[in-house]
Amino acid sequence: MTEETVRVLKSKIGDVDVAIVLGSGLGKLANEVEEAVHIPYSEIPGFLRSTAPGHAGELVYGVINGKHVLLMNGRFHMYEGYSPKDVVYPIEVMKMIGVKKLIVTNAAGGIKLSFVPGQLVFIKDIINFSFRNPLIGKNDEKIGPRFPDMSQPLSYEWIEKANAAIYEKMKQKLETGTYALMLGPSYETPAEIKMLRKLGADMVGMSTVPEIIKANHVGLEIMGISCITNMAAGVLKQPLSEKEVIEVANSVSSNFISIVKTIIERTC
Amino acid sequence: MDYVQMVKESVEFLKSRVKVSPKIAIVLGSGLSVIKESLDVEAKVKYSEIPHFPISTAPGHAGEMIFGKWNDVDVVLMNGRFHFYEGYSMKEVTMAIRVFQIMGVRYLFLTNAAGGLNHAFEPGHPMIITDHINFMGDNPLIGKNIDEWGVRFPDMSDAYNSKLVSIAEEVAKGLPVEYYKGVYVAVAGPSFETPAELKMFRYLGADAVGMSTVPEVIVANHGGIKVLAISAITDRAIPEGLEPLTAEQVLQVAEKTGIQIAKIFEGVIKEIKEELK
Repeated sequence: MTEETVRVLKSKIGDVDVAIVLGSGLGKLANEVEEAVHIPYSEIPGFLRSTAPGHAGELVYGVINGKHVLLMNGRFHMYEGYSPKDVVYPIEVMKMIGVKKLIVTNAAGGIKLSFVPGQLVFIKDIINFSFRNPLIGKNDEKIGPRFPDMSQPLSYEWIEKANAAIYEKMKQKLETGTYALMLGPSYETPAEIKMLRKLGADMVGMSTVPEIIKANHVGLEIMGISCITNMAAGVLKQPLSEKEVIEVANSVSSNFISIVKTIIERTC
Repeated sequence: MDYVQMVKESVEFLKSRVKVSPKIAIVLGSGLSVIKESLDVEAKVKYSEIPHFPISTAPGHAGEMIFGKWNDVDVVLMNGRFHFYEGYSMKEVTMAIRVFQIMGVRYLFLTNAAGGLNHAFEPGHPMIITDHINFMGDNPLIGKNIDEWGVRFPDMSDAYNSKLVSIAEEVAKGLPVEYYKGVYVAVAGPSFETPAELKMFRYLGADAVGMSTVPEVIVANHGGIKVLAISAITDRAIPEGLEPLTAEQVLQVAEKTGIQIAKIFEGVIKEIKEELK
């Protein structure tokens, strides 16, 4: 299947300087692409359909600030019922078509009490609390090693460079944090958030970690950005809702777009 | 057949067998079937008769729904639940809760037998559950969301209805019952936890540990049903000096504690009786 997928994609797109996975409510970056080529997932062999709210279902190839980008607008989640292998299939395909740098983004709940909704945070480390791993099963040595090292799951060097670029251009610096993956789709309970805080997590969500594991497996350079869309359960005395997540993500999208464009222009 | 259709057919069958439509459903945990003594039984339906229903294989669990009156209030009692460790999928484990939701149940009372992680807990007492940690590695809502049943991402910040918790506490205070309050952590089982695991759960903020309840609570919250859950603390799950544990011991202590839990439920039913009309 992978060969067929690669063949179809290569017939539609050229070289890629950076691939970006867009999280819930962060799809507006797709509007910034010049000379855009839209490829619906339904036209790509082996790709699933994204059923999650706030997620389109297409790849967008083109140019942002002079660099060739491949955006994955709409991702797959395990809570949708997809296997972790299916969730990370696009990452394997990216490697095969020659992608070297990958930025993964998501909407996340803030566990660290100093975080505020709307804040963007670089993911520096991850905790996999999903009880699942996309690499379970027979390993294909041609794709990656049986036991991939995870001692630096996201590139510290890239975070440094990106923060320097963002500071120079926008006089901003993003904090870094540890992202915990929960299966969902029910939001976490307050007791679970307390537990995750104790374990060292700064933010929580239902995605991204499988992709980071797979990207380490295939040897991509990876950066992660979380948009804190709400404080996690129990932090504030109010219920959590998907509407709030999408609204906050939308409201900070212009800042998100400026930051990501700067990262693309200066570090990719 | 798809799950929605299966649930609908189970509901249709139950409606053909019983005339009442209870607003309260009660799930009896291991060794807790003593609670059914409080009921004026009107009808019993075996799980094996209900279309698409799984069959409970756990010890101390019968396999029947009991319809009846408790203090003149219609209730349905689930005598025997389904556990993840029996090999059932999360959808099978929680199917009865969906059936209750479609039948119009608005309150779900859950019970279970649990090991006490909190140093202050003595076996033989009830613990009113205030929150949970899902350590089962699965979730009953995974898959395509069924919008007519609930939202894609249900809030869990008041999963154990805080109003029901306070009512239960008020009731318990008026009884000669020593009760606790705390966080329940659910594991898949069926092996009991190791001392190292117990230590970890205590560190993570749990007060009691068991192998059920959490899937049902997630589905009830998804379906807009208010939850009250009480554990029977059956043993000291204290890693230091842990003694070998058998299911028989658990069931014995649960039965004694069940009598106290029944009294708390009875008081809560009296308190919420008006809201049910």
